Amino acid sequence: MTDKQLDAGDLDLTVLRELSALGSFAPGRGFSDRVMARVRLPQPAAVVLFRRAGSWVMQPRRAVALATAYAASVIVAVRLGLPWLGAHAPALKLGIAWLGTQLGAVGNAVALRVADWAIQSGAAEAVRAAASSGKVLPVLAALTIGYAVGGYGFYALLRAPRRHDALARS
Amino acid sequence: MATAKDLRTLGDREVVALAKAGKEAAYRELLSRYERPVFSLIYRMVRDRALAEDLAQETFVKVLNALDTYRPEYKFSSWIFKIANNAAIDQLRKREVDTLSLDGAPGARTADEIEATALQAVDRGESPLAELEARELGSQIEQAIGKLRPEYRTAILLRHVEGRAYEEIAEVMDLPLGTVKTYIHRARLELREYLADLRT
Repeated sequence: MTDKQLDAGDLDLTVLRELSALGSFAPGRGFSDRVMARVRLPQPAAVVLFRRAGSWVMQPRRAVALATAYAASVIVAVRLGLPWLGAHAPALKLGIAWLGTQLGAVGNAVALRVADWAIQSGAAEAVRAAASSGKVLPVLAALTIGYAVGGYGFYALLRAPRRHDALARS
Repeated sequence: MATAKDLRTLGDREVVALAKAGKEAAYRELLSRYERPVFSLIYRMVRDRALAEDLAQETFVKVLNALDTYRPEYKFSSWIFKIANNAAIDQLRKREVDTLSLDGAPGARTADEIEATALQAVDRGESPLAELEARELGSQIEQAIGKLRPEYRTAILLRHVEGRAYEEIAEVMDLPLGTVKTYIHRARLELREYLADLRT
């Protein structure tokens, strides 16, 4: 073995020895706490759902939409419901009184009494008259359509991606 | 409930499973297992303590927040070293791109701009951090490692400092096994030459 080969072999061993003797470095104090402060720990599904719902509702755009929809539904209900209640107060009173007295009755007797009452009291006639006058059906239709549109609006809002979701995907 | 002592006896996969179940102690156990190896690898790659700490922090945040995506058929160590190595390599590439000439940035037009963007010769001895780095990375072998190409540096550090298997290094570096062996062989040759130069 030549001196040159011996030197190369020695150096190789030295390299390996020095590499394996290299120590490890530690990051600064508080490193793990700084990392943990930025880590999101998994939480129970119910908590996550509640927080997500809370943060969704609390976003300004959605909060305004929800409040507007709620106010609109109350106004619609009051605007349409109160006149209707006023117009049908006698029949409603009668119905409520009848319901109060008839709660204990069951089965065919109840059904027969209802039919009898409806004919005798003229309630059936009143309902038929209201329906034929064309007032009740448009109101019911408007309410139904209004709530359906409102429901679809909320569905669309729920589906709209939030800004940070869009950023995360990009 | 597993205590910190119990956690130390568990393998990485079990600890990861506990972390996925929301156990904070399991997260801390993973941190304590890997903070030194990950930080050491990044520090020896970028050779700047503050930057290495930032990159190590980013690595851990990324890994721990993505535990749900971890696939147990792979080694956890391979996964974390891969992310750490990618962060270090990205930083080194960025540093190459960002390197400013002594005459200032290419876009600098006025004298003020040129002065503001020109590379400043810093007396590293003045900063306590730089002094610490010079002391930590000042040995001949550390200096020699610093002169290796980044890919050789990763391979030799994972093999001879962290004691990882060739297969795991190949997984970390996304390279064929043969390439990893070649890198390690060449890195050792280069280290030998650098050390021979330093000693003559």
